[in-house]
Amino acid sequence: MAHPTVTLSTREAVAPSRASLWKRWKGALIGPGLILPAAIVTILFSVIPLIYLVIVSFTEESSFFFNNPVYTTANYSTVFDRYLPHIQTTIRLALLASLVNLVFGYPFAYILVRRVRYRELVRTLMVFPLFGPLYLAFGIRYVLLPNGPLAPVLDFLGINATTLLISEPMTVFGMAMFTFPFMVMNVGTALSNVDPLLEEAAQTLGAKPWQIFTRVLFPLSRSGILAGFLMCFGWNLGVFVVPILLGGTAQQRVLSITLHQKGLSQFDYGLASAMGIVLMALAFGVTWLSLRFSRGALGA
Amino acid sequence: MARVRLVEVTKRYGQTVAVDRVSADIAEGEFVTLLGPSGCGKTTTLRMVAGLVEPTEGVILFDDQVVNAIPTHKRNVGLAFQSHALFPHLTVAKNIAFGLSVKRRPKAEIEQRVNELLAMIELEGYGDRMPAQLSGGQQQRVALARMLATDPRVLLFDEPLSALDRNLRDTLKYSILALQRRTKKTAIYVTHDQSEAFAISDRIFVMNKGRVEQAGTQLDIYLRPATEFVANFVGDNNALRGTVVEVHEDSNHRRATIRCGSLTVQAHAPGSIAPGDRVLAFVRPENIEVLQDGASADEPGLIEGAVEQVVFEGPAVRLLVDADGTPLKVTVSGVQRLTLLDAQRKRLRLRLREVSVVRDEAA
Amino acid sequence: MSAAVAPTPTYRRALLAPRRISAGLQHAYIWLWLVLFALPFVTTTLHSLRAPEGGLTLESYRYVFGSFKENLLLSVEVTVATIVLNLFIAIPAAYAIVRHPIPGKRFILSTLNLALYTPGAVMGISLAITYAFLFDIPRTFVGLLGAYVVGTYPLMLVPIIVALRDLPRVYEEAARTLGANRLTTFFRVELPLLGPGISAGILLTFVIVFNEFLVTLFIAGPNTTTAALRVYNLTRTGFLPSTAALAATMQFVSFIIVLVFFKTFGSRYLKGTYLI
Repeated sequence: MAHPTVTLSTREAVAPSRASLWKRWKGALIGPGLILPAAIVTILFSVIPLIYLVIVSFTEESSFFFNNPVYTTANYSTVFDRYLPHIQTTIRLALLASLVNLVFGYPFAYILVRRVRYRELVRTLMVFPLFGPLYLAFGIRYVLLPNGPLAPVLDFLGINATTLLISEPMTVFGMAMFTFPFMVMNVGTALSNVDPLLEEAAQTLGAKPWQIFTRVLFPLSRSGILAGFLMCFGWNLGVFVVPILLGGTAQQRVLSITLHQKGLSQFDYGLASAMGIVLMALAFGVTWLSLRFSRGALGA
Repeated sequence: MARVRLVEVTKRYGQTVAVDRVSADIAEGEFVTLLGPSGCGKTTTLRMVAGLVEPTEGVILFDDQVVNAIPTHKRNVGLAFQSHALFPHLTVAKNIAFGLSVKRRPKAEIEQRVNELLAMIELEGYGDRMPAQLSGGQQQRVALARMLATDPRVLLFDEPLSALDRNLRDTLKYSILALQRRTKKTAIYVTHDQSEAFAISDRIFVMNKGRVEQAGTQLDIYLRPATEFVANFVGDNNALRGTVVEVHEDSNHRRATIRCGSLTVQAHAPGSIAPGDRVLAFVRPENIEVLQDGASADEPGLIEGAVEQVVFEGPAVRLLVDADGTPLKVTVSGVQRLTLLDAQRKRLRLRLREVSVVRDEAA
Repeated sequence: MSAAVAPTPTYRRALLAPRRISAGLQHAYIWLWLVLFALPFVTTTLHSLRAPEGGLTLESYRYVFGSFKENLLLSVEVTVATIVLNLFIAIPAAYAIVRHPIPGKRFILSTLNLALYTPGAVMGISLAITYAFLFDIPRTFVGLLGAYVVGTYPLMLVPIIVALRDLPRVYEEAARTLGANRLTTFFRVELPLLGPGISAGILLTFVIVFNEFLVTLFIAGPNTTTAALRVYNLTRTGFLPSTAALAATMQFVSFIIVLVFFKTFGSRYLKGTYLI
């Protein structure tokens, strides 16, 4: 704004009039002004609650909401002491689900990008998981119920549906179903940027199929793999409903479920908040990494 | 280093026929070019030889071995792509070494071979660069070195120069030819650019709509086109529609007299042409001679016409002549062209040379 | 061709050639996953149609339009309200981000996206506490609305920004030279051209808000139970066909709306967003 514009008349150039000053100010204010509603909403419903969460996490149980809050770091020592297995379970389940996504999603994305012509159909059916893990977990649970549609098949194979249902593999599978599209999206974008000629070149040079993968495709799609993996991992850290419907007590020891119990059933807001902060720190760390590796839609 | 044979090779994609019963017998060490417009099936044919596309019917042989069922990576062919297709994540040296490295050759051997090839393409010291740091011509040379590294049996080129600018194309096409001559490898080269094809081939296969229209030397293709398509696709041509009046045969020539409207022309006649046939006679603009005044007037086959347009193109002058209602394109080069600059609306006498004939399929 | 010294070689393509087997397996793999994607919905629907004594019945759907009607209505109301508010927030913000120089743009953008990266349970607990003890709006419609808006308007921002960036400035410039002021130009020229991008934003907001239950679980009360939360609550008590009917209805409605969008605008404007 320091440069005088060419269109200024001589009088204005000598001493900028009130009107032109206002014009410049207006120009500078329009941008922030347009963003103001967004900023207000974010501050009210995201920034303030998160700051509040931090403060509450340093107070004893629900003391913050009575006259004299007791400040303490005990909540965090409790989280890292008694609830360390919960953190581990959260990370383990998210890690396993993301690995499943990678192992099954990479070939899916490759075939989709290179071989499949009915991509619109795939894209359309792939929105079902995106309606949320609740319906997925509900549907899977129903499929495997003792009187469900797969019961005759399972009986025939001699598989006990209940052990299949309430298990870690099924929990991981349910979580993986939900984030599968994210992996496919990230890897698919990376792979569609790899020229198919490079694969053919490798083939003519004598590379076997697995060598084409290890020496050409994998190195050239590494950023997409990383971005996809971190994105799946980030979403799965917040897992809540899948272990409830498909897992046993071992799988239900995850941060989201525990903080819900502590906060809303036992009113231990301090501990619940501390768990929330730990979970958020994990999620933000992962998001930060994933944004570094993915070229987001905004290209910022 | 192999004889390559295609026997009635066909590729269909659903209803569309991309390659239609193509046969070829390419001798060891021969340089063959597949020439044709885009979509004529030349690239598909090449890709079938490489094994990247599976023929629907027909057989492909390297020497006496049927290779139809052999996957690309076991065929040991070298393929140069339209874009250089260098691996962007590997250095120049690692790109060249790729083929040897996937075959798990010893490190020392690989290194020696890479240095040898870098020297051959005159890029010593460039081994540690990334492909993106090279110019277009350098990249294509690295691609050539990469394809030679594994000592392939057949060299395949898929319009390798089309992405480069004209000067680079001219030098590189001779480098490719020199390379092929030195290594004595069988080569199949695909292009839509006839000057490229003419410069480097032993034999040219002109393709159209999936079929081979004509296979032969540059001279055959240019002066004795076998089909209307070849006559029109390769170079510029005047086409005259007419009927064979008479066929005259002596020891080594077969000449036909053809009546095209009011014009009568003499042409080389292939064996299949007989009097009464409806034919197309083709004469190249540069094969029409403009006669100076005083040349013998009673020579048979001379044509007279009025000049309608004169275009000076520098090395040549192009004339549009109306010969009794038949438009003729005439190209004159050499010093004679300078005498024709003011030929507008004048009448000229022309001698048609090297007229070729094909059967008129439309009739 | 050389003279027929040797008989013409022949080759017959094997029906089970490796190339064909591999191609078949690849498509089979895709289809396996397509079946898996649709399977939960299909079986949920089947379950909802099951009559207690065997056979099929639409009986369960009486609940959907009976005792679940209020939940569904609330879901629709709060979703529509969120979409409207998102439009008022996201369109000016996208316009500012693309067309105006703002200091610290990247920082602002990532702050606006804050809620997007917060796990649902964390957002839920933080809002539950804040609503109860600071804003005094626990278990209210306004509370739900605030949570949904902050969580979804960044998703609406993305497709609008993409559409705005794709929009050549010549339209704006042409309108200005023809004498339209900034505001007129925006409403008469740019806004209509942004249609597909804005629609994509609406679709994303709809799909997420309509099906959101986790944050809702923390901040909703008995009078503000959305249909998705009702599904969650019901799954805690058993697997009745009526629950399946509600879940199937939710998914069916969502799917139809996505389908209509894909048919109308294609998936271009959804690139880089939550839905592909």
